Amino acid sequence: MNVLEINHLKKEFDGLTVLQDISLSVREGEVVSVIGPSGSGKSTLLRCATMLEHMDGGELIYMGEKAAWEERDYCVYASKEKLKHVRRHFGLVFQNFNLFPHYTVLKNIMDAPVSVDKVPREEARQQAMDLLAQLGLSDKADAYPYQLSGGQQQRVSIARALALKPKILFFDEPTSALDPELTGEVLKVIRQLAKDHMTMIIVTHEMQFARELSDRIIFMEDGVIRQQGTPEELFMAPDARVKEFIGKFAG
Amino acid sequence: MSTITMLRLLGTGMLKTASIFFFTLLFSLPLGLIFSFGRMSKNGLVRGVSKLYISVMRGTPLMLQLIVVYFAPYYIFGIKIPSWYRSGAVILAFVLNYAAYFAEIYRSGIESIPIGQYEAARVLGYGKTQTFIKIILPQVIKRILPPVTNEMITLVKDTSLAFVLTEVEMFTMAKQIAAKEASIFPLMVAGIFYYFFNLAVAAVMEWVEKRLNYYR
Amino acid sequence: MKKVIALLTAALLVFGLTACGQKEAPETKAPTPETEAKTTQAAEDGTAQGTEAQTAEAGKTEEGVRTSLTVGFDAEFPPYGYMDDNGDYVGFDLDLAAEVCKRQGWELVKQPINWDTKDEQLSTGAIDCIWNGFTMNGREDNYTWTVPYVDNSQVFVVADDTGIATKADLAGKVVGVQADSSALAALEDEENQENLDLAASFADLKQFADYNTGFMELEAGSIDALAMDIGVANYQIAQRDGGYVILPEKEYLATEQYAVGFLLGNESLRDDVQATLMEMVDDGTFMEIAKKYADFGLTDAVCLGK
Repeated sequence: MNVLEINHLKKEFDGLTVLQDISLSVREGEVVSVIGPSGSGKSTLLRCATMLEHMDGGELIYMGEKAAWEERDYCVYASKEKLKHVRRHFGLVFQNFNLFPHYTVLKNIMDAPVSVDKVPREEARQQAMDLLAQLGLSDKADAYPYQLSGGQQQRVSIARALALKPKILFFDEPTSALDPELTGEVLKVIRQLAKDHMTMIIVTHEMQFARELSDRIIFMEDGVIRQQGTPEELFMAPDARVKEFIGKFAG
Repeated sequence: MSTITMLRLLGTGMLKTASIFFFTLLFSLPLGLIFSFGRMSKNGLVRGVSKLYISVMRGTPLMLQLIVVYFAPYYIFGIKIPSWYRSGAVILAFVLNYAAYFAEIYRSGIESIPIGQYEAARVLGYGKTQTFIKIILPQVIKRILPPVTNEMITLVKDTSLAFVLTEVEMFTMAKQIAAKEASIFPLMVAGIFYYFFNLAVAAVMEWVEKRLNYYR
Repeated sequence: MKKVIALLTAALLVFGLTACGQKEAPETKAPTPETEAKTTQAAEDGTAQGTEAQTAEAGKTEEGVRTSLTVGFDAEFPPYGYMDDNGDYVGFDLDLAAEVCKRQGWELVKQPINWDTKDEQLSTGAIDCIWNGFTMNGREDNYTWTVPYVDNSQVFVVADDTGIATKADLAGKVVGVQADSSALAALEDEENQENLDLAASFADLKQFADYNTGFMELEAGSIDALAMDIGVANYQIAQRDGGYVILPEKEYLATEQYAVGFLLGNESLRDDVQATLMEMVDDGTFMEIAKKYADFGLTDAVCLGK
């Protein structure tokens, strides 16, 4: 079963088409990386998929449940209740972490399960502590975000997303805001998630990382999917544009 | 008049001043939040009306507003003014005026919260109200404390404007004692009272600010 | 929901403000003798639509039986109305009002008012009368008056070492006066060319909110003379242990009379109060009360019971 299915997604900003006829399906356990030059629409794709942006056309389906579809040239969304349910299928890790600064690390992780999913407090707490232990941050449970390094903050934000037990996890350039020496600890966590068969879509500039980790890589440019395939297919026999782009990043 | 009597009278005036101060804050802080929502509403009419309200309240003298609020029931509706309305009008006028200032302070605070906070909350499944109360408002409060403290200190001094409605707060009391004594001394003493009142307000607010300093 | 409440509140308030902004505009100016007639007229129009003035008084129960009398006074106007050593409101006028209420079986409510808003307070029913060294001359048609009970004079007060002895000496000097006062009205009286010429001869005419501030300016030397009611002048000079003189009688600015002012048309309350007042004159109580304030010249000033 496809965890995520996007059909003919269209998105415009002030009459300017930024995404055009994007179709994409992600199977359970699959790791998909999205690469491409800036302005190619990959972040917008992610924001449409996580419903932070309103689609202008096409379909959005999670676990077989329709979140949005097209009706007479308009894109309509499911009822508020339905969307609330659909949202529980995915999690999102932001480039800038967006942790809640007034909550401790522990509260950042356990508050959504308690307040949104009504998980008993003690259970949520235990689960949050387990996640922190997995991520090597047990000693930071009572710290506030400002007391952590960027890498630690990003790991906490991954834990926060995982605490809601999503079926699929989106990453929006998870290491772009980090100092180079801090990216490793975050990538390590994502690698571990891949090993545990977490379904993930990762927008990234880390070519080497995308290549070794992904089941599939999507190359986007000018609002369309220019090429997609296994890392081998993309890295070994790329077309001219893909080659140029990868070449730039491989340095 | 003995100094003791004078201090006792000024103390009575101070209580009145303190109660104007307290009730004004009690009602204008929540009302200001409602007006700030109106000011940021997606509905153009609500936004326009709130904007006009804030602009009128900030753009006309508080002294005039006190007079208008006090006499409005009679001049608009022909209702005779009962004696209890004197204190009521003072509080009402102060609340309406300060709510406008607080609305703008809230707005600046709310708009300074990064959009990412809303997006994170939304993706995590928080509802709109939950997001505002749990995530946004606590951060807003921390950010707006310094301007709110400013307004509070101004309010302590503005309470003296209640004299136009002859609400016998500290300043009116001091003026009456000064007239009786034919001396400026009672006014100086009132000044000291105001100063210490504000010293206490500043100390309390500093303590609150420190309490909220646990995060950045 | 919040938006709806915000909308309603805001709409109501804005409507209210603009509506009364129009009506209030002429009222909020400090009424000079010229505009006073107009504001009183406007106030009257307001009541005319509703009911007669009698039903609108502060101290009446619904059955129309009076239980109290609310007297409006300026608490910074000794010796007529001011604060005593214990912080209670006293004065010649308030003592008279207390005696009237005692005899009528009313409760006396002493309501200090801001002098600038006295007309609004009266027409809105916040007070029943103005009883506080209230000059009737020039205001005869604006209020319903009792008979006058004090002969008052508007006088000039100067420091005793200035050498100013006549009105003519005030030419080129800075003179202070209370805003909206009878002294100011006398200096601006269109029909009195002598006073107009006198006012024109001053270097400047400064208006103060209250006499205490005016006296402080006189003490500080920033003004040379102060035009004010003789009773208040006597009180202020006595409080300051001398150092000031009142220019002699032939140099008085104006003479006038004090009476109790009621809302225009409220004859029944005026009649009640006046009858009791005359009773007090006849049995000597009136003079007794005046003697309490003899230090401030009241036994000389009263024009009843002599």
